[in-house]
Amino acid sequence: MAALSNKSDQEIKDLLDEYGIKHGPVVDTTRPLYEKKLKEAMAKAKVTVTKPSPDRTFYREDQEEVTYVTCQTPVRSEGPSGDGKPYMRSRPEYSERDRVDDKPYSRPEYSERNRVDDKPYSRSKLEYRERDRVDDKPYSRSKPEYRERDRVDDKLYSRSRPEYSSGRQYIDEPHVYNTPSSSSSYSKPTPVMKSGGVVKKENTTSSGRLIPLWIQFLVFLIVAGFLYFIFTNMESAESSPFNKIQ
Amino acid sequence: MSTTSQKHRDFVGEPMGDKPVTALSGIGEVLGNKLEEQGFDRAFVVLGQYLLLRKDGELFTEWLKDTSGANTRNATSCSQCLREWCDSFL
Repeated sequence: MAALSNKSDQEIKDLLDEYGIKHGPVVDTTRPLYEKKLKEAMAKAKVTVTKPSPDRTFYREDQEEVTYVTCQTPVRSEGPSGDGKPYMRSRPEYSERDRVDDKPYSRPEYSERNRVDDKPYSRSKLEYRERDRVDDKPYSRSKPEYRERDRVDDKLYSRSRPEYSSGRQYIDEPHVYNTPSSSSSYSKPTPVMKSGGVVKKENTTSSGRLIPLWIQFLVFLIVAGFLYFIFTNMESAESSPFNKIQ
Repeated sequence: MSTTSQKHRDFVGEPMGDKPVTALSGIGEVLGNKLEEQGFDRAFVVLGQYLLLRKDGELFTEWLKDTSGANTRNATSCSQCLREWCDSFL
């Protein structure tokens, strides 16, 4: 780019128009100002060109991960993003269950998981409880387990069967306690916890509440009950304050 | 009263005639000297520059800061002073 000071007045004017800078006539006294403005505009234009790409790659990564879930044949060689991929890839047979298996963490439908989620449930029984509070740990812990299953799937699957039947009661309990709304509420903490971009399978179509909905309702009921309790136990005012003392 | 200074009100209240550049609001002795070095020895010359910049307050403020080293407050004050003068007399 030729030095701005070498350009003619007309050229400066054209450049100002090009950058959309409001200006008056280019004269001796106004020229330095316009040259300065042009320099700023050029520097700014150069910066904005290079900026969007990092954002875009980040977004693209998310997209890649999302589409990969539905892919049937896992390709181990691919794997630019981190943890989530091996997790999904390690279960070729569960291709159809990929979506459903992901849901142990989100848990929208327990019935489907009867067949499918033996492993996550039997293995991560304890982790399930913990998952209420800390989703990262069980997730990372169960991941290597899932990876094992890739190689020794049949054994694990058959092995988990008796576990499942024995542990069924255990598993049923928490689920009975959990209403469908609460099960969906579990999906909410997980995307918040695993915000590392690994868990994209969950459709966080919910509004992404920090505090699950059932907790909000519970708190509301507690406060309402408390106020009611206070109200009913208030002493009623005496009908006539001027009772004769006898 | 508005936030304008006495100097501002004095300048805006009448045609500027041949008033020196230091009569402008926001332009004191130091800034006045700097402007005079550049050739802006009268208020109407500065007015001329303001008009050349199409009476754009932002452009004028920027120009004044570059030319005389004024700070934002003084430059904005001068710009507003000229704008109001133009509203009344131009």
